[in-house]
Amino acid sequence: VSATSYGWLVLAFPLAGMLVNTFGWRVLPGRLPGWIACAAIFGAFLAAIGALVEIQDRPEDARSLVDSAWTYVATGDVNVDVAILIDPLSVFMCLVVSGVSFLIHVYSVAYMGGDRGYTRYFAYLNYFVFSMLLLVLAANFVLLIVGWAFVGAASYLLISFWYRRSTATHAGIKAFVMNVIGDVALVIAAFLLLDKTGSLEYSGVFEQAGEVFAPNDSTLVAACLLILVGAFAKSAQLPLHTWLPDAMEGPTPVSALIHAATMVTAGVYLIARTHPLFELAPAAADVSAIIGTATLLFAATVALAVTDLKRTIAYSTISQIGYMVLGVSVFAYGAGLFHLMTHAFFKALLFMGAGSVISAMGGIQDMDRMGGFRRAMPFTFVAFLCGALALAAFPLTSGFFSKDEILAFTIARGGWYWALAIAGYAGALLTAFYAFRMVFRVFWGDPVPEARELEQGHLAHHPPANPASGEAEDTDVGFPAEEHHIAEREWPMRTAMGPLALLAIVAGALQIPGVTDVVEHFLAPTFEDSRFHDTAPTEGAELIGLAVGAVISLLGITGAYVAYVRRRGVTLQLRDRYRRVHAFLVNKWYFDELYDAVFVRPLATAGAFGRGVIETDFVQGFIVGGSTGIVRVGTSFARAIQTGYLRGYALLLLVGVAALALYFLLNSS
Amino acid sequence: VTIHLSIILFLPLATGFIGAFLPRGLARWAVLAGTVAVLAYAILLLADFDSGGGLQYVTDDEWIPELGIRYQLGVDGLNLFMVVLTALAWVPCTLVAALRDRERPKLFFFHMALAETAVLGAFMAQDLALFIVFFDLMLVPFYFMIGGWGTGDRVRATTKFVIYTLAGSLLMLAGAIALGVLSTPEGGEISFSLAELQRRSVSEGTQQWIVLLFALAFFVKAPLFPLHGWVPETYRSTPIVTLALLGGVLSKVGVYGFLRIVLPVMPEGAQHWQELFVVMAVFSILYGSVLAFSQDNVRLVVAYSSIAQLGFIVLGIFAFDDKGAQGAVLQMLNHGLVVVPLFLIIGVIVARAGGSESLSELGGLAFRAPVLATLFLIVAFATLAMPGSANFVGELLVLFGSYEDKFVYGLVASAGVVLAAVYTIRVFQRTMHNRPGAAVASREIGRIDLAAVVPLVAVIVALGVYPNFVVDRTERATTASIEEARNVSQAVASR
Repeated sequence: VSATSYGWLVLAFPLAGMLVNTFGWRVLPGRLPGWIACAAIFGAFLAAIGALVEIQDRPEDARSLVDSAWTYVATGDVNVDVAILIDPLSVFMCLVVSGVSFLIHVYSVAYMGGDRGYTRYFAYLNYFVFSMLLLVLAANFVLLIVGWAFVGAASYLLISFWYRRSTATHAGIKAFVMNVIGDVALVIAAFLLLDKTGSLEYSGVFEQAGEVFAPNDSTLVAACLLILVGAFAKSAQLPLHTWLPDAMEGPTPVSALIHAATMVTAGVYLIARTHPLFELAPAAADVSAIIGTATLLFAATVALAVTDLKRTIAYSTISQIGYMVLGVSVFAYGAGLFHLMTHAFFKALLFMGAGSVISAMGGIQDMDRMGGFRRAMPFTFVAFLCGALALAAFPLTSGFFSKDEILAFTIARGGWYWALAIAGYAGALLTAFYAFRMVFRVFWGDPVPEARELEQGHLAHHPPANPASGEAEDTDVGFPAEEHHIAEREWPMRTAMGPLALLAIVAGALQIPGVTDVVEHFLAPTFEDSRFHDTAPTEGAELIGLAVGAVISLLGITGAYVAYVRRRGVTLQLRDRYRRVHAFLVNKWYFDELYDAVFVRPLATAGAFGRGVIETDFVQGFIVGGSTGIVRVGTSFARAIQTGYLRGYALLLLVGVAALALYFLLNSS
Repeated sequence: VTIHLSIILFLPLATGFIGAFLPRGLARWAVLAGTVAVLAYAILLLADFDSGGGLQYVTDDEWIPELGIRYQLGVDGLNLFMVVLTALAWVPCTLVAALRDRERPKLFFFHMALAETAVLGAFMAQDLALFIVFFDLMLVPFYFMIGGWGTGDRVRATTKFVIYTLAGSLLMLAGAIALGVLSTPEGGEISFSLAELQRRSVSEGTQQWIVLLFALAFFVKAPLFPLHGWVPETYRSTPIVTLALLGGVLSKVGVYGFLRIVLPVMPEGAQHWQELFVVMAVFSILYGSVLAFSQDNVRLVVAYSSIAQLGFIVLGIFAFDDKGAQGAVLQMLNHGLVVVPLFLIIGVIVARAGGSESLSELGGLAFRAPVLATLFLIVAFATLAMPGSANFVGELLVLFGSYEDKFVYGLVASAGVVLAAVYTIRVFQRTMHNRPGAAVASREIGRIDLAAVVPLVAVIVALGVYPNFVVDRTERATTASIEEARNVSQAVASR
């Protein structure tokens, strides 16, 4: 079996899983739909391994294979096939996506156990994975955009999965529209590239780009910036990030799968995929690096202040993706993608742990109401701790090595990139602090009633209410599920969290400076053409960076320990002293309010203006009024001759035109 | 010379007449059988179509020789899929109509049949006078269906509908006669045959005002801002099956007219107004989109969204670029394919809500009607031209075509893509999601409606997977249609 056949199989399995669950929803019993979905993703994972083995057998310069199935659209200079590209980068992404997705599917089998939308949930989930794999396997920009939009659609469906909640449907539409903005930007970028290079295929575009574009050519920079708009919309980077925290309305495994581990990293993948363009347009790459850095700092500050557990992790995701964007934008592709992988492990794990805690809390997500779960939920605690350690870049965990590598590369670029690296280290300090703020607030301290109940074996149930709005749930239809599932009692959840906890701790071993170089070496053929091979940091520099990173991580964790365990209440004092700062952070720098004032309300006003003024006064009043005026004359005339005015009017007009026609014809001969 | 197209053309009308002599209850089945037969014939036509050939299945007879009017029919890439769309749309609409009891059923179904014949005639006519005959004939059955079986203030609705479309038609008629007369060479015979008109020439100044007359008729029909004054009331009052045909199929006749008549016959005139029409198209896209998401009546959301979608099609045509025109032709089919099921689904939804069409009173249908929700979702995604649908390919080509020469207009039009996402998802959510409205009884879609909607959805999905099926068959004729206009436009640009 060739590598490309494995590639098609990677796509076929999730698609088949989706179709089985879509058409079998009435007959599939119990948890079977969940297991079908898991099997489909596992199939995709095995196929991805098959592709990996196949391309590793090939010589390094022949590891990029394209296979096209049928012509998608061919007219004029637009010539697009349904074609997949198998190369180290796409195989790497397939492995990460299908592997992490599989574990999240397994987790979901239990976590979503009592939900009335169980089958629908898994059909959506498989559809998402199919779309994501299509995105990474696409061999041209059009198919990329298709996958790109599909993951947006899947994300929309899963965010508003509990569609009786107005907050969920509202969050869904917000995410969808932001994503469409990104799609449109990609369409325009694709046109610019087609116009100059005459191709929409990656290979064609990249080959031609070097010849038709001078460095920092204005068209190319424009195209790259548009690609960035697409990437940032999907990856929730400034200023297109506002949808992601709201996306936490979806079920928690969805947050783990889509809004942490896979979809939101698509922007990073895209920049890495189009790296030949960014290397020709370093101005655009610099913009990207700066925005990535700004985002990582911004989101980390917000994560310090918000009290909703899931939203804290969401801001953490935005921040961590900022690191990845920084990495691929300073041409540290291996490092950026390595961080993408480790982040997928530990962030999925954190969400899984959070889901378990939220279940134990009976659906409540506010950290102010949590505490002392350490004894009641030992497994969840340990797993969450592993995730938090990796997030905080605790020495020797996976996040420690991956984050550091990005910053070391940034420093190695020299010049003003130093400033970005320093900002990155500042962000790392905040990261360690907020990561352990979560740990200490949720698991330390006096057990809250729910934790105490759980210690005695009772799961807390509150009257079902929307955690975001406090609104009573529509229990008439029974979802979100009234039953709650925690890792302590469900083996599928533990089965999923175990491997991720392990990976979060040890995956760093793949890339230890001076020792191992597995990821970068594997990806090397894709990035062979990079002009920035030589800027890689020296081993010594990397080790110094690691030492600095370790100190910062420990500092942050200690800070959190002091603030939330040793001297509890100190944060409350701080909050009272700097009320304005706190309000600024808790309101997420007022981005939502800004967009509301700049986009949403003007559009609504335009709509009201169109309806109230243009339609009534101009179209109906002026244009219609004029013609009805004529009609009225005709009408009264028609009434007078008792024929029913319309028919009479029509008849008269026809007679008139016939006369006109006759006149012309008679004149002509 | 074949008789195939004549059979397709008059089959519906014949079944309508037959139905008139059958007992009350049977007329509908006769007409339904006729639509099915037409569909079968159209599919054969499609299978037999030669994508490399020009005009096919040509019928060409004398009709009114004194006036140079011929009975001339033919199918090429421009109208092949319009004929298929017509045949495909009439079956489910007739089916759904047949299952609802209404007053004077014989008459209603006669009008349905007549309408199909008229629309097919307008699409297949290769003689300008014949085109106008059918174009105006379309008005008759729709006028009676809205006036006789409509709801609400149907008198007002029919008044506006008729005045607008009739005024447009008459202007076009005047333009057509002028074109025929003025293009007749010294001592030659007058002719309305499109092929002949294309060979003859009219001075540029004459072309300009004739094009304007045609454009008024076509823009009213489309509809495009600001000639859409008839739309709100008509869409509110028309019976839903009739509306599906009106919005899905009739709206294409106008834009089709540009490609069939205006651009090939009067390229200089078309070029003269290019800028104005592009501006109108772009404005329609924005205006229709913004109004679509501020409407409360679910029919009107689709009404205004159609104004936006037709704006895209006109933009594609008047970009005078191969890709743009190709996208427009594809979009003409796609838009029809989504609007018909959209209205059929809206019919089902409204029935669940006790007749209410207000978005604020709908909601929460999805829970007990997952199949309905899924079908609606697919149609909604296609409507907003989500990548992966053929509508996306159409819009992509339209945008690519407009970027080519009219980059700024294209950029502004791109905003319409985002707005489409807003208003489409809004309708989906307000009907399917959120809490159920007070009067909403959530029930699954019935078998008949299912049988009507599923084939259309299947076609939407199939074309999404393989849009080149359409592109391949339409490319030749589309390119030929805009060739002259593009050459003129390039000549003007280089001047």
